[in-house]
Amino acid sequence: MKDWKAIAKASGMEVDPAQLNRVAGPLEALEAAFRPLVKDLDPGVEPATGWRLEEDGK
Amino acid sequence: MTIREAADALRARRVSAVELAAAAHARIARLNPKLNAFLTVTAEQALEQARQADAELAAGRDRGPLHGIPVAVKDLFLTRGTRTTCGSKVYEDYVPAIDAAVVERLRAAGAVMFGKLNMHEMAYGITSANPHYGPVSNPWNPKHSPGGSSGGSGAAVAAQMVYAAMGSDTGGSIRIPAAFCGVVGLKPTYGRVSRYGALPLAYSLDHMGPLARSVRDAAMVLNAIAGYDRRDPTSSRHPVVDFIPDDGCSIRQLRIGFPTNFYFDHLDAGVESSVRGVFARAQSLGALVKPVRVPDIAALNTVGRVIQLAEAAAVAEPHLEHREKFGPDVLALFDQGRLVPATDYINAQRLRRLLIREFDRVWSEVDCLMFPTTPTAAPRIGDATVRLGGRDEDVRLAVTRLVRGINVLGLPALALPCGLGASGLPMGIQIVGPAWEEALILRVGAALEDGGVGIPPCPAA
Repeated sequence: MKDWKAIAKASGMEVDPAQLNRVAGPLEALEAAFRPLVKDLDPGVEPATGWRLEEDGK
Repeated sequence: MTIREAADALRARRVSAVELAAAAHARIARLNPKLNAFLTVTAEQALEQARQADAELAAGRDRGPLHGIPVAVKDLFLTRGTRTTCGSKVYEDYVPAIDAAVVERLRAAGAVMFGKLNMHEMAYGITSANPHYGPVSNPWNPKHSPGGSSGGSGAAVAAQMVYAAMGSDTGGSIRIPAAFCGVVGLKPTYGRVSRYGALPLAYSLDHMGPLARSVRDAAMVLNAIAGYDRRDPTSSRHPVVDFIPDDGCSIRQLRIGFPTNFYFDHLDAGVESSVRGVFARAQSLGALVKPVRVPDIAALNTVGRVIQLAEAAAVAEPHLEHREKFGPDVLALFDQGRLVPATDYINAQRLRRLLIREFDRVWSEVDCLMFPTTPTAAPRIGDATVRLGGRDEDVRLAVTRLVRGINVLGLPALALPCGLGASGLPMGIQIVGPAWEEALILRVGAALEDGGVGIPPCPAA
C-alpha cells in the first residue's frame, strides 16, 4: 500500500488529514485495478495521444 | 412538441418564433425556481433573436430546422457577453469575449438562445448537486438526482423549458442526465463536434453533444454543430452527412449486438427487463439481435479513470491554491489526480490504444451495440451508495459503470428513454456504434422510437 500522505507531502501538496482520507481510499482501489493491466504492456505500444507537425506546427 | 413539429408550425405560420420564445420564457419563469436548471436566463436577448428569426422567415431567409427554436447551453460553453461559470466559484465573474464554436453554430442555424444551464461543479461529477449555485432537481421527482454533469440540460429539456440543450460528456455526462431525466442524449464521435470554447474537464475524453426531446431532434442539432474546426486540435475532417433519419427508416437485417459480458451485470431488475423489452421490439422490427462478447470493460473504465484524474488535475492546477473555492467531492478528485504519476497517465494512454484496437473487432460481428445507459434509475439526492445485484456500490462508480468506457474509445453513443421504473422514474438504453456512424445509431434510435420505445412526457412539463 502506498503512503499517500507522504507522497502528497513530497509533492508539495497541502491537504488536510480529513481530505486525505477521501483521496487515499479511491486511489488505493484504482491502483489495485490499474497495476495488473500495465504489467505486460509491450514497449512498442505507443500512447493514444499525439500531435501532427503538419497541423499543429502551423 | 418536437423541434420538427415546431419548425413545421413556424413555416405554416401557425406560430411565430416570438410566440415560441414567450412560451419558453413563461415555462422557465414557472419551473426554474423549483428545478434550478438555469443559472442565467437571457430572456431579452432571446426575444430579440426570435423577432429577428420571424423577420428572416418572412423575408424568405430560412436557416433550417433550428431557425427560431428555443435552446440553451450548459454553463461551460463560452458565451460572448454572458457569464460562464462552469458551475464553479473560480469562474463566478467570468464574462467571455467569445462564443464557443457550438454556440456560434447554433446561432448561425437560427436557434434562439435562452441562457446557461446549471451543472455539476466543473463538470466533475454525476449529481449536479452544485454547492455554489444550488442543486438541480429532477423534474420527474425533485427528491431524486437529475444526473450529471449536464443535469441542468437534462432537466430543462425534460421540463420542456427548451427544445434542446447542449451538454458535454467526459465519462457519461450527457447520457446519464438523459437517462435520469427521460430525454434523448447524443455523445458524438470524438472529433466530430468542436470543443473550442468549451471549458475543458479532460481534453482527450471531452465530447460535446445535444440533449433533446426526440432522436430526430438530437439529429437536427448534430447537423448544426458537427464539422471540422481548425481551432480545436482534435477536430476531425471526417465528412459530415445529413444525420436526420428518414421517416419510416428501417432496421431490418441490421445486426444489433447484445453484450454477453459486463453490461448486464448487477442491474436493477426494472432496468434489465425494460432493456430486454427494447431488444424484443428491435427483433419485431426485423433487426438481428446477436449475442456478442465485448472486450474487458472494467479495464476500459479503469484506464478512463486514470486519464480523467490526471487530465482534470492538470486543467485545474492553476486554481488549486484557492482550495476554499471548491466543493469537497471535486477537490478530492483533483487531489487524487495530482497524485497520479506521469508514468501511469502515459501507460493508461498506451492501454487505451490497445483497447481501441481490441474493441474495433466487435464491429466485424455486429453493426451496433445496445445496453442500458445506467444500471439504475435516478438515485435519491444525497445517496452515497446504491444496492444493485445484492451488493452496495458507490453511487458515482455505479452510475458511470456503463458509460465511461465509451469515452475512452471515442465512439458515438445515443441514450434514449425506454421505460419507467417502479418508482415512476425514467430508465434508459444506449446504442453505441463504430466511429463516425452517428447516422446509423440515430437511425436505430428513430426506428425504435417510431416503433413505440419511449416514455410519456414528464408530468412537470
